Amino acid sequence: MNSFKIILFLCNWGPHAAFQELQDKRADIPAEIKMIRIPCSGRINKSLLFKPFEMGADGVLLIGCSPGSCRYGSGTDIATRSTEDTRQILELLGLKKERLQLNTFLPDEPDALLQFLKNFCEEIKAIGHSPVPSEKQEHKTEESASLAEIISSHDIYACQDCGKCTSACPLTLSGKPFSPRALAGSIIAGDIESPSVQEGIWSCLTCGLCYDRCPSAVNFPDFIQNMRIFFKNKDKNGHESHGGFFQSLMRTMTSPAVNTKRWEILPEDIRIDPDSKTLFFGGCAPYFDKYFNHNLGVSISNTNMDSLRLLNFFDIVPSVLSNERCCGHDLLWTGDLDNFKILAGLNIDAMKNLGIEQVITTCPECYRTLSHDYPEHGIDVPFKVTHMYDILETEISKGAVEFKETGKKITFQDSCRLSRFAGRADLPRKLLQRLKPDIFKEMPETGSAAICCGNTGWTGCDSHSKALQAKRLRQARATGSDLLITSCPKCQIHLKCAMQDPFLGNELSMDVMDLTSMIAKTIYWK
Amino acid sequence: MADINNTIATTTEVVITGFGGQGIILAGRIIGKAAALRDGKESTLVQSYGPESRGGACSAQVVISDKTIHYPYIRRPDVLVCMSQSGYEKYIDDIKDSTLLLIDEDLVHPGNIKIDFFAIPATRMAEEIGRKMMANIIMTGFFTAISQKISLAAAKDTVAESVPKGTEALNIKAFSKGYDFGLALLKGREKKAAGKIGAIA
Ligand code: SF4
Ligand code: SF4
Ligand code: SF4
Repeated sequence: MNSFKIILFLCNWGPHAAFQELQDKRADIPAEIKMIRIPCSGRINKSLLFKPFEMGADGVLLIGCSPGSCRYGSGTDIATRSTEDTRQILELLGLKKERLQLNTFLPDEPDALLQFLKNFCEEIKAIGHSPVPSEKQEHKTEESASLAEIISSHDIYACQDCGKCTSACPLTLSGKPFSPRALAGSIIAGDIESPSVQEGIWSCLTCGLCYDRCPSAVNFPDFIQNMRIFFKNKDKNGHESHGGFFQSLMRTMTSPAVNTKRWEILPEDIRIDPDSKTLFFGGCAPYFDKYFNHNLGVSISNTNMDSLRLLNFFDIVPSVLSNERCCGHDLLWTGDLDNFKILAGLNIDAMKNLGIEQVITTCPECYRTLSHDYPEHGIDVPFKVTHMYDILETEISKGAVEFKETGKKITFQDSCRLSRFAGRADLPRKLLQRLKPDIFKEMPETGSAAICCGNTGWTGCDSHSKALQAKRLRQARATGSDLLITSCPKCQIHLKCAMQDPFLGNELSMDVMDLTSMIAKTIYWK
Repeated sequence: MADINNTIATTTEVVITGFGGQGIILAGRIIGKAAALRDGKESTLVQSYGPESRGGACSAQVVISDKTIHYPYIRRPDVLVCMSQSGYEKYIDDIKDSTLLLIDEDLVHPGNIKIDFFAIPATRMAEEIGRKMMANIIMTGFFTAISQKISLAAAKDTVAESVPKGTEALNIKAFSKGYDFGLALLKGREKKAAGKIGAIA
């Protein structure tokens, strides 16, 4: 009943022979260990390594072949990297990295294997149960709106069939057989099971360009969000990228006993006041940094650190939420309304307990989610939500500060959540105007008309979204700039990912920096 | 220079100088009224008229004191506010080591002087809010923040009642711009003194 649960991913080749020998000998393999036979330790990616933890496992073992004996050559190396990154994420989550371990054994090492399994079991028992329950409390799944209700509440019937949405949609323009107009039409016709509808629902970037153009003000991204909730309630799976790792991570955070450690390590120069009623909300940056550690080398957390430094620069010393959870944006936009609401509730309760009066955030998704989606979904937000750029604009316009020359030719990638959804395209530009670039040149499509970075909510990443990213990066390079400034951490991740296309070589590569960091680097007291 | 004795130390002598038409006298009147009618002090105002008012140098002399003021003319100002180069040149030789010097940085170029000064682009800021003639109100806000000789509440209320009807809100905005700039400047100096010039250590 209250026994420990340990998952063992065991490579088919070398170590499985050793394990089999233990079984043949009826050796006392700890009963807590559930073995899953796998083709190669390198095939167990981060989402698979993490999934058991979402489901309440107390420990996970990945056992592969000893270095040099991997049948496929690179398996052990890949497993080493995936395990290392996932362990760091467990640490950030407050689950402790010791719960996940990688080891390698040769076929003739059964005794060593047995000893290792026993030691691991003891270690897990010493750490204790995972704060994530293995049986999820059955919370009431809210009856999702019926198809007819979704269609009428979004006034899809107002569609005039003009096709402006399709002709603006960056996915369509990338050559994907995808049309928001046709998708809306099929859904109205009740044709929701067809492959094109199923594919379309999860492919839409929810970038909102179509909504911007629609003469009938059909809010297509919002409609898509509701359709995804509708399908998720029917147990239809989405097309989550990275094997659903991020959604899995966020669902893990819905366990009230999880105590994250994402704010544990702060650079020494940053001042925090635990009693301040102004709170800085950081978002998922540290998890992204760890996840992409070996692939993109991104450092999204720098944006948060530079935000805090800038607040300190202006003598604003905020608090942070020691047990901060993800805002839930990506769960909401992939249809998991229930878990979104749980996350939102936990975050809001924690902030209520601290008596928070104002929340500052630099992430456009957190900003959108806290300020708009929480109230929209019936979650009371008892504080003011302010975007970091508003604080910066107010403080800088008081005067007495200057900016060092950047020595860069700059162009700018808009965030859909800030520039289009919140209608604040002017806000980053006011700040950009204050910087001293050698040249600032906009791309052809900018502001509320800007093209998407290629992904939202970690879903539907495919060759077409890639083509659209390549198009965007080519636009950026064509401005003659040597630095692409971004305002959303995700834009930075997805665009940097696209730059790595092996077939295009360096054709798309470009330096990328967040606007907040650029300001932090150049601002000074006059 | 001989030190001033204690009885006079509670007195502040302010000279505001600029061109005619910049609202120099109004700025002086606001400062004096704020001190006398709202902060409960004594104050006097002497205005320079004559040929100066037609675009030439123009000045307001304001004395603020806890005691009755017997002599309203100023020879060595405690605070000198300059909104024109000619005004600056006329008064700069009268300053003391302790004089607080405030200038409009686009209109006054101090060159080599022995004392520190506080600069604000008041006229440029006024142009930014679309009312060049409100540079004096911006300067009044700046004066309030830097000198601490009149209270913020007194200054604001006096601005509101001294400007033409219907322009109160905009004038308060102008005042706040100058005041905020002053506070930011003081904050920046404090940070610089502590060696924290930029945001990244
Ligand atoms: S939200 Fe964006 S990706 Fe989705 S249909 Fe509209 S324009 Fe296309
Ligand atoms: S732009 Fe609006 S009205 Fe036109 S086809 Fe698309 S949804 Fe219909
Ligand atoms: S663009 Fe790259 S980082 Fe973004 S979802 Fe796709 S694969 Fe992941």
